[in-house]
Amino acid sequence: MSGGDKNKKKAPHSQGWEEAGAEFYQESYPSNDVDFEVLQRDPKHLATLLPSKQSRAATFKRIRGTDNTRTFRRQTSSRSRQESFTRRTSTLGDVQVSMLPDLSENLSNEQSTWEEIMRIKALPVPMAEKREMKLKLQSEPNLRLQGYEQFKWKRRKILDKFRSNVKEKYSKLELWKGEMKKIEGNFGTGVVAYFLFIKWLMVLNFCIFLLIFLFIILPTILFNYEEELTCTGELNSTQCCSAQYYNQSFSSDSFFLSLVQGRGWMEKTVMFYGYYSDRTFEYFINSTPMYYNLPFSYVCMLLVMFLISLFAIIKAAAKGFKERLIEGEGQFYQYCNLVFNGWDFCIDNEKTAAIKHKAIYNEIKGLLENERIQEEKQNRTREEKTKLYILRFIINLIVLVVLASCGIAVYFVFEFSQNILKQFDSSENNSYLLGNLKELFYEYLPSLCIVLFNLLVPFSFRYLVTLEKYSPLFVIRITLIRTIFLRLMSLGILLASLYLRVNCELKDDVCYSSQCTPQCWETYAGQQFFKLIITDFATHIIITFLLNFPRSIIAQSSNSKVAKFIGEQHFELPKHVLDVIYIQTLVWLGSFYAPILSAMATILLFFMFYIKKFACLINSVPGNIIYHASRSNSMFMIILLGGYTFALIPIFYAISEVLPSKSCGPFRGLNTVWSKVINTFNLTPSWVQNIVYFISTAGFAIPAFLFLILLLYYYWAINSANRHMVSVLKNQLMLEGHDKQFLLDRLSMFIRQQQESQRKMRHTEIMRASGGDRNVASN
Amino acid sequence: MGQGKSQFSEEELQDYEDLTYFTKKEVLQNSTSSAHHKFKNLAPEKVGHNKNAKLPMSKILHLTELKVNPFGERICKVFSSGNDGDCTFEDFLDMMSVFSEAAPKSVKAEHAFRIFDFDGDDMLGTSDLQQIIKKLIGDNELSKNNMQRLIQNILDEADLDDDGALSFAEFEHIINKSSDFLNVFRIRL
Repeated sequence: MSGGDKNKKKAPHSQGWEEAGAEFYQESYPSNDVDFEVLQRDPKHLATLLPSKQSRAATFKRIRGTDNTRTFRRQTSSRSRQESFTRRTSTLGDVQVSMLPDLSENLSNEQSTWEEIMRIKALPVPMAEKREMKLKLQSEPNLRLQGYEQFKWKRRKILDKFRSNVKEKYSKLELWKGEMKKIEGNFGTGVVAYFLFIKWLMVLNFCIFLLIFLFIILPTILFNYEEELTCTGELNSTQCCSAQYYNQSFSSDSFFLSLVQGRGWMEKTVMFYGYYSDRTFEYFINSTPMYYNLPFSYVCMLLVMFLISLFAIIKAAAKGFKERLIEGEGQFYQYCNLVFNGWDFCIDNEKTAAIKHKAIYNEIKGLLENERIQEEKQNRTREEKTKLYILRFIINLIVLVVLASCGIAVYFVFEFSQNILKQFDSSENNSYLLGNLKELFYEYLPSLCIVLFNLLVPFSFRYLVTLEKYSPLFVIRITLIRTIFLRLMSLGILLASLYLRVNCELKDDVCYSSQCTPQCWETYAGQQFFKLIITDFATHIIITFLLNFPRSIIAQSSNSKVAKFIGEQHFELPKHVLDVIYIQTLVWLGSFYAPILSAMATILLFFMFYIKKFACLINSVPGNIIYHASRSNSMFMIILLGGYTFALIPIFYAISEVLPSKSCGPFRGLNTVWSKVINTFNLTPSWVQNIVYFISTAGFAIPAFLFLILLLYYYWAINSANRHMVSVLKNQLMLEGHDKQFLLDRLSMFIRQQQESQRKMRHTEIMRASGGDRNVASN
Repeated sequence: MGQGKSQFSEEELQDYEDLTYFTKKEVLQNSTSSAHHKFKNLAPEKVGHNKNAKLPMSKILHLTELKVNPFGERICKVFSSGNDGDCTFEDFLDMMSVFSEAAPKSVKAEHAFRIFDFDGDDMLGTSDLQQIIKKLIGDNELSKNNMQRLIQNILDEADLDDDGALSFAEFEHIINKSSDFLNVFRIRL
């Protein structure tokens, strides 16, 4: 934290609300009239009289109880004369002149009074006291602001009011507020962070959809575009290929079958790539022709989607990252964090509270245990160590083998189902319903297979990791990483097999090779993603309501250990996070081929919230792992960023390298999608082109690069200087503390000595006096 | 706004808005999520005809968040203007204001410190820490040895001046470095 911040923070603290606390907060805080007896017994009490301890706001009375003329300190401390006087009496002589208050400044104006009043709320004093302060401030004479200042202040006041109004309205409209509170009450803030994350993703998808709708779907609908369906000219020309594709009659599948497969009537709608036109629309406003280049806007929307997502992720991650940076040596304060931030004040459920007690207890024990384990670790013999390492190595090998075999399995299943489907295509004389169902099954086989792996394999990972004897935190992390690999890998295999299908050699005289490529492979790819998302969503429903819900009923209804083992579930955050991020990755991957995916994801995530809420509140019992909100938040973002990169690479490869299909979509007839952008760029005015060319020359790039490096170096230097400063200040603080301790000890010793000598003197006096008395008496 | 408004004058409401982190509506509204509604629900028969009725601590602790909170009694005591744990509506409003989302970290830290400071000596000493930990773990028992080690670890981490207790400055330092504090030290209306 920089120095400036600190000053700002201190300002409200050091205001002199001296009298404020006096009557109301007499929590036996020692003050000037502390019994000297106490002081002499315990020097610690002396310490509470130190000025540094007095600087905090109104927790206790000031030492100087006499001066009643004290006014509240204004924004800068220099104006509070009384303060400075008492503090600097020793050097009063030379500073007095400069300490004299500037009279014109001392009179407050409306604005500063208002600011004062706004600041009262930060004080830890009861309402009655605050109200008195406010009255006092209001009754004080103040200057009216003039001219522009007045305007500025008025505007600020109005803005403040407006802001709080908007905030209030917003909080009323806020989605799922009640649900969040309920979850928070039962599971604590760490789990709520997850639900906020779902909401965040939903909003993100909605924004993406809005853009896609405005710039791609809406124009297409508005211009009511009809494809040219006549084939004139060469057979393999784009026109003829399109005609062939669009005139093709789709199999008369039932409505429902088409809906879940994204085929039939759905294929030729705005939902999929194939429907979009490759033309530049022309329309007239006041009889001047205007153009709308749909293909170009199609590419741009893809770029914008990725940019917006990246921006949103970075913005959310940066917030968490900043917090982590402030935490600095994060682990450093683990015990303090546990004790002072351990309790979730939002918890309002007795059962949860009991579990929370238990969880905190466990974590405390775990931490202490961990210390011992660390020690043990160092004492581990060489033999044990090698054994453990070999074991870990073997387990990692097993994990790799499992991952690889899953991948291979997905690949073969995909190939298998495609081959079968081809047979279906060639022989369409199957009995109607059965054939359709069979076809549906094979269509969904790859997706089912992937989902199945995603379900089962993590269990084995979870078992394997227990053998490896990692620390609990690391266990969560490594299972998470393995599961991510599993998910991404099966997706990757799917992509690869898609690519193999798409990228087969094309003879010049055909529109598509019926041996491998589908007629419009982009739509085909879109359908795959469409199906994947639907399957994934369906499994969530099935698992939550048909599998886990009965399990939880079993666990609740009987108390036996077996039932507990079968039925009891904890809300395992990492797993559920992966579920949502998986959907998002699919959206990023598929949006280019099926623009409707983002809208679908918005809706599905909306329902996902309720599914997960059900899984959380009804199926699971609070676990004894404490999830910290900030830590889980940064975890979400890191995984999401992983999914983002995973989606980015194949998509951009496809855009820049793969040949678009000839018969459909906005890029038919081009070599790559990207060439559309280049073509459009070539049409721009020459100065734009010149600027872009200039930017790409060395003359611009090298200085810019150097400049960036310098900037980087500058920030790095500032950072390291601040770090150094922090350590210096910390050391100084420690030294001061020791000095203080030393002086206090000395002082108390001195007081004690003095007292003893006094007592001795008194004693001798009394002796003498009594001796005198006796003398008198004897006389 | 209905019968709620009749209990408070416009002036009082303005005061409440200026002096807490709430808006007028959050202080007083007929919906279920207002501070006064919550307060009234704790003892409808008392607050019904006397808006500033003083509720005994046992009543305040009926608020579910406070009931299960191990520091519930401490919270009542810290915010009670009579220091005995009994709260008027204004005390309650103060409490809710500090726990609201709008209150800044420094204000929350100040109150957290006072809540944790059981013996009121303006330092979190060993006995304070011990009480905090005992309240945190509830019915579970921590062995004497472990308790000592835990306290020692806390002091090792945070007691910069080695005086065997945490001062407010040291406490604030911890709070500033912890990103969870704002999430945790909060009660929704």
